[in-house]
Amino acid sequence: MTDLKDLLTSVVEMQEDSAIALTVKYLDQGVPALEIFNCYQAALVEIGKRFEKQIYFIPELIMSGEMMRAGAELLKPHLASQDCAGEESKESRKLGKVLMATVEGDIHDIGKNIGTMMMELNGLDVRDIGVDVPADRIIEEAKAFGADVIGLSGLLTLAFDPMKAVVEKLKEQGLRDKIKVIIGGGQMDEQICQYVGADAFVTDAVLGVNYIKGWLS
Amino acid sequence: MFQGWDKLSVVERQDAFLAQWVSGEGIEFTDNERKAAYQERAGLIADAIRIDQSIKRVPIMPLTTFAPTMLKGISGRDAMYDPHAAGKAYLDFCTDYEPDTAGSAPMLMYGPALETLKYNLYKWPGNGVADNLSYQFHEKEYMKADEFDHLISDPTDFWLRSWMPKTHGALAPFAGMPPIYGSMELPMLGPWLISIGTPPVQEALKALMEAGKQCFDWITILGGYLGQIMAAGFPFGAGGATKAPFDVLSDSFRGTTPLMMDMYRRPEKVLEAVERLVRPMIETGVHSAKTNGNPLVFIPLHKGADGFMSDEQFRRYYWPTLKAVMYGLAEAGCVPACFVEGGYNQRLEYLKETSDIRCIYLFDRTDMGKAREVLGGRVCIAGGFPVSLILTGTPDQVEEETKKLIDAAAGDRGYILSVGCALDEAKEETMRAFVKTGKRYGKY
Repeated sequence: MTDLKDLLTSVVEMQEDSAIALTVKYLDQGVPALEIFNCYQAALVEIGKRFEKQIYFIPELIMSGEMMRAGAELLKPHLASQDCAGEESKESRKLGKVLMATVEGDIHDIGKNIGTMMMELNGLDVRDIGVDVPADRIIEEAKAFGADVIGLSGLLTLAFDPMKAVVEKLKEQGLRDKIKVIIGGGQMDEQICQYVGADAFVTDAVLGVNYIKGWLS
Repeated sequence: MFQGWDKLSVVERQDAFLAQWVSGEGIEFTDNERKAAYQERAGLIADAIRIDQSIKRVPIMPLTTFAPTMLKGISGRDAMYDPHAAGKAYLDFCTDYEPDTAGSAPMLMYGPALETLKYNLYKWPGNGVADNLSYQFHEKEYMKADEFDHLISDPTDFWLRSWMPKTHGALAPFAGMPPIYGSMELPMLGPWLISIGTPPVQEALKALMEAGKQCFDWITILGGYLGQIMAAGFPFGAGGATKAPFDVLSDSFRGTTPLMMDMYRRPEKVLEAVERLVRPMIETGVHSAKTNGNPLVFIPLHKGADGFMSDEQFRRYYWPTLKAVMYGLAEAGCVPACFVEGGYNQRLEYLKETSDIRCIYLFDRTDMGKAREVLGGRVCIAGGFPVSLILTGTPDQVEEETKKLIDAAAGDRGYILSVGCALDEAKEETMRAFVKTGKRYGKY
């Protein structure tokens, strides 16, 4: 087993160039790709802890996503496809599936994207179906995906009613008990959570992940 | 502004501009009673800004965008295409609910001019969002990473020949124009003018002229209603607007995701760029405030909020240039009115640094008790009322929450009651309860 501590440190400390150089170096030295991949995963665990402790914020979330993407691209040709698939499906089975959408009438995507990235970073299987999505399509996609949780995003106050419509349609279809609903956005609060009939509201992504992990555990 | 202006301190300049605004000089009031009402309302705002202990009541300043039109059943599209409908709705909102400030109706903008420009920085009703909704920002990477040096070396040239061609489709040919500096001497003037004469640039200039004419005609109509609003005794809650340099870079130029990566990939460029935007942002705010004879310069704050970046990043990238813009505005006699979107519970100590100028911090999700604890008696604080209750609560809930908020925030006599969110919509009963409770319970 090779000591990949310097790679782990580079990823955790957001040293993008050094992480790429070390990944290339270890691959050249013949270190198994899966071992390097596991090092990235270990780095993500540490990065996740730093979000929890409010040491890291959105710049680091975006950077870590970028570094993971770049690392995965380098590793992919060297990883046996079943290794990767095995890892991914194990994770999915363990944690669960979240369908993410910005509700109808609202085209803002930053909050949704941040939420999605934070969930993926924490090992959730997330399907992001975009912005301005009508309630019926959200429900159809959730059913097709087998979502355990629907995450509804909206920046505008005009998003409140479309969020409520999703919950009501879930009830109509007898799905409300099977699928949790979490709402996120700048103007979400307890009042709106009750109005919409959601299970939880959040204004930050870390808290959202914590709720979802709690439901799925 | 007047003789001896240069000898005044920064705060004396701000007080002089505030006094001029409160006087209502130049406004043709309907009668003396309305003039007195205007002076009383603007006076309350000025007293809260100065934290004047003789203030009689908490002033009430709703931040309305589309609420006055939506309350009357006017669609977002009609609000942006019919200045009579928009102007009348804004006037009626004032005379009906009687807040202490009127919302800035021109912020609704005029749809036909946006169509002429093929504007794509926002989507608006009928152009990317449904007719009944409000306009929405359409964030993209309008400035590439390799354009930092262009922005830094010459913001205006970057704005005109790189950014506007991407965000205003009809102005795309401006990208092919040579820099304006070609006009510096007779022998070089010809080539520069020839580029202006090319058919695509001529078309772009025609579009710009047409959009300008459309907006002029629009404000000629809307302006009649704005005059009536003031004549009826209601001062406007903003004289102009500007932005924090980091937000300009993040919202309009690079986009949030690319800029967040820039903070790691090219930190020095980010710092140079925000520094370079300070002076243009000051000039933008000062020019509009002076044109409108109203010192309040609205600054919506976005990406510096709690949760967006660390304290260290805020201290390095966001705060110094925002503070510089605020002080630049103050030096010109303006009053920076920061609309602090999101939460700023972890940033309050920074805001305290501006205690030596007149300014307003209007909070969205910040704990108002904590805001008062840190800032009370030093700068004017405002806002904090949850929009959720205006839209989904009962009048009783609104009354109770308004009282709680006044108890928590108004004790230092430097508080303005406001909903902590731009009101794209509202409900009649709760809006009435909000204003009524503020007036009754907010008496000192």
